[in-house]
Amino acid sequence: MTTALTPSMLLQRERELIRRGVDRCPLPQFLMWTAPWFALLVFGCYAAWLCLSQGLFHTNMDNQYAFGLWIFLDLAVIALGAGAFFTGFLLYVARKQEMKAVINSAVVIGLVCYSGAVAVLMVDVGQPLRAWFTFWHPNVHSMLTEVTFCITAYLTVLLIEYLPVALKNRKLCRVTRYAVFEYELHRLMVVFALLGAFLSFFHQGSLGGLYGVLRGRPFAFREGFGIWPSTFFLFIVSAAAVGPSFIALTTWITEKLSGHRLVEGRVYDTLARISGKILLVYVALKAADTLVWMNATAPARGFAARGFYETQPFGTWILLAEIGVFGLLPGWLLVSRRARASRAVLLCGAALACAGVALNRFVMTIQTLALPTLPFERPAQYWPSWQEAGTFLAVIAFGVLVYSFSFRYLTLFPQERELAFGGEKE
Amino acid sequence: MFPWVYGFEWTAGRIVFLGIFFSVLLVMFLTVAFVFLKSAVHFRTGRAYFIQWKSLFHELPRASRACRHALTGHLPGRVCEGAFECRECSKHGELLEQGREAAIGAGAEEIMGMTVPLDRYYHRGHCWVKPLKKGLVAVGLDELGRRLVGRPDAVETPPPGTWLVANSTAFWVKRNGTAVRVLAPVDGEVIAAGGPSDDWILKVRPPAPLDTRHLLRGDEVRAWYRREVERLELIAGRADGAPALADGGELCADLGEAFPERWDAVCGEMLLDT
Amino acid sequence: MIRKNAEGKHARYGMLIDLDRCDGCGACMVACAVENNIPPGRPGANARTGLNWIKVHRIETGGRPAFLPIMCQQCEDETPCVEVCPQNAVELDPATGVVGQIPQRCLGCRYCVTACPYHARVFNWGDPEWPAGMEKTLNPLVSPRMRGVVEKCNFCHGRWHAAREKAAADGSTGNGPVNYVPACVEACPAGAMAFGDLNDPDSALTRAVAAGEAFRLLDLLQTGPKTFYKTAFAAVRKGVAGERDA
Repeated sequence: MTTALTPSMLLQRERELIRRGVDRCPLPQFLMWTAPWFALLVFGCYAAWLCLSQGLFHTNMDNQYAFGLWIFLDLAVIALGAGAFFTGFLLYVARKQEMKAVINSAVVIGLVCYSGAVAVLMVDVGQPLRAWFTFWHPNVHSMLTEVTFCITAYLTVLLIEYLPVALKNRKLCRVTRYAVFEYELHRLMVVFALLGAFLSFFHQGSLGGLYGVLRGRPFAFREGFGIWPSTFFLFIVSAAAVGPSFIALTTWITEKLSGHRLVEGRVYDTLARISGKILLVYVALKAADTLVWMNATAPARGFAARGFYETQPFGTWILLAEIGVFGLLPGWLLVSRRARASRAVLLCGAALACAGVALNRFVMTIQTLALPTLPFERPAQYWPSWQEAGTFLAVIAFGVLVYSFSFRYLTLFPQERELAFGGEKE
Repeated sequence: MFPWVYGFEWTAGRIVFLGIFFSVLLVMFLTVAFVFLKSAVHFRTGRAYFIQWKSLFHELPRASRACRHALTGHLPGRVCEGAFECRECSKHGELLEQGREAAIGAGAEEIMGMTVPLDRYYHRGHCWVKPLKKGLVAVGLDELGRRLVGRPDAVETPPPGTWLVANSTAFWVKRNGTAVRVLAPVDGEVIAAGGPSDDWILKVRPPAPLDTRHLLRGDEVRAWYRREVERLELIAGRADGAPALADGGELCADLGEAFPERWDAVCGEMLLDT
Repeated sequence: MIRKNAEGKHARYGMLIDLDRCDGCGACMVACAVENNIPPGRPGANARTGLNWIKVHRIETGGRPAFLPIMCQQCEDETPCVEVCPQNAVELDPATGVVGQIPQRCLGCRYCVTACPYHARVFNWGDPEWPAGMEKTLNPLVSPRMRGVVEKCNFCHGRWHAAREKAAADGSTGNGPVNYVPACVEACPAGAMAFGDLNDPDSALTRAVAAGEAFRLLDLLQTGPKTFYKTAFAAVRKGVAGERDA
């Protein structure tokens, strides 16, 4: 016996996928929201396809500017996605129970950031089908090998962490097999939280090391400890600092877009406090590292530090902005109890922190390559092509879509139901 | 990657790097394998349905998870952590040993216009259990449950012979094209399903002797009902801009009619469905 | 890194370029492209997207312009590109000291391109295309590269290989004084380029280096290039060597 599927029945079926006790906008409204993102995704996939099928001459990269917008995107989203491992670490290892309110959202954000980064990396390399060569014939001295191994392993960890979240969907959790698997997997999440923290430690670090080891690029080159240059550690600390900020920011944006309260106020406070403290540590380390680099590392290789800042538009303002406006200022806003008591100030601080880390990744990737090495060279110019920008936007659209669908059909914020029930609990 | 791959050398860097990588993979694999194994064991030992309920239980709002002893005021503010499985609860066992078990009552009580017979046991999912002769029990929706469900389009009962597990699905009530799951109050074999004119829905043969430690009775029912009406006000008020639920202190007879749009949400939440 | 088993005596091939003799004619670039099957530039290609293994830069050093041919400098101390390649597509051959790029292994990640301070590495931004008929002029000793991989100067590996084969046919091991010249050296009408073995005390290269006449580009980066330059003009040396705050 089959009956025709009427639109109202379709809406009913769709609503049955959404957990009871939470409000979600009607399906047509949701589809209206996703439509432009889908359009952007399709456009970006076309741009990426041009690069994959015909070659990277569709980009504006060249033999001097061999890394461009995409590598900047990779480094930035992976830093912002650090909230996934850091929140997991805080919840399962440091036992900060407030993090329960955002852990699912953090996992989805991590998954989105890392899968997006890997996807764009596959467009960025000239021969993506040879990606497995790195595993088969690894050069263990290369930072990129460390990055490749760790990110692949961590993406697997994120997928496993996403599994319980996905299986908690209202329809899926009715399947006993899924529910039992989810329950048991969730109980062992601490293993994956530890693995995630371990892997993140190394790949966030090796992304920094990626540039720090470039002895041929004195702007990026740093001395370090053992095989790891100082940027290795700076990247870890800055990623840990900005992860919670980004979680706070995305949670707030989701609250505004959905029109519902999703977490208790103190969750913001905790995220901001942790983020701010680590950010201040980072700024101190970064300042010390900059001084050592200016006074010892660079001069020893025949480069005066001031020379790096003679190239417009990369004047000293960029260094000062990184440390001051995007470092000390958000650090203070997030650490000071009085300042972060205001939600607007707190979010401002979080946004500045996120922008600061993005700026740092920009400096490490884009500025490093713009600066000349040979004395007679002029600074290199680079502006991304529309194909590069399109692929970039596709990753953003992909992230927004995955997050939107996850938010609609899964429980990203466990407190939402509780808050809808009777306001804030002590 | 492996010693037999061209170019492999036993250098310290390679051993450390690949050693760590393979260890990470191994830990991941073993953990997932362990989860599969553990799940399989749950199915074999018959705990799977309880686990399923347990994993859903923790998603419920705190107000829906109040301990039965919090309802009666013995343990104020206590929230159940054991998925309403009082048979496994050490706190409940302690209280029983102290002789704090509520006695099963007799007759019926009027609560907000609802007739609640006290000669039977109640499950938190709004099913009652009434012992019959020959070791059978009748299972039916209680008065609040009936008012929540109203006149269902269909009641989907399991076929006779099905083994029910307490807190897993007993039957489904369907209305307006959606279905709400009703929790089974006891373990046991389904013997018969009632028709629309019966006040019971299933007849079940539970394992003898009948274990009712996890079910509410007597004074507890009164306290629980008051709390449930509060909870309903909360849910329904949230759902539809708070129209009058109860007219002159009486709960309306059919919530499905009062909230055709939100029946699924309100009824599902009250019956502890996800 | 894969260390090849070197047989017999090791060599350290290097080059000496006399900047005072170079007049920027570009014959070396042409000879290199012909020898190594470098396809013509794509429409719209420029100095930075083309596939030149050797590039001659014109440098204003105040008064006298100088011409500076730059190709792979064959670094040997913690060679930047060798260190960074994730999958061993770049290796330093201990038998010759030449940094080899293996396009068949290359993933095209361009990390090595970024790592090279001399911009001596080029990436195939598109499919190589030869105008109809021109493919008949391809050098059979050198395999063309595909799209999406990195390539660079290897001191004419095809010629080195041919010389080894010839030596073997003649019954010799081929280990000994350099027995071939790269195409650029051969083509240079001014005789500005000299190819030699830094381990051979009698080569002109070794003698020039020992005499302190030669210098290297960006020496302070400690990459240890085996390509040396020489000039009699201090301004030229200052303008190209990158010893500014030394």
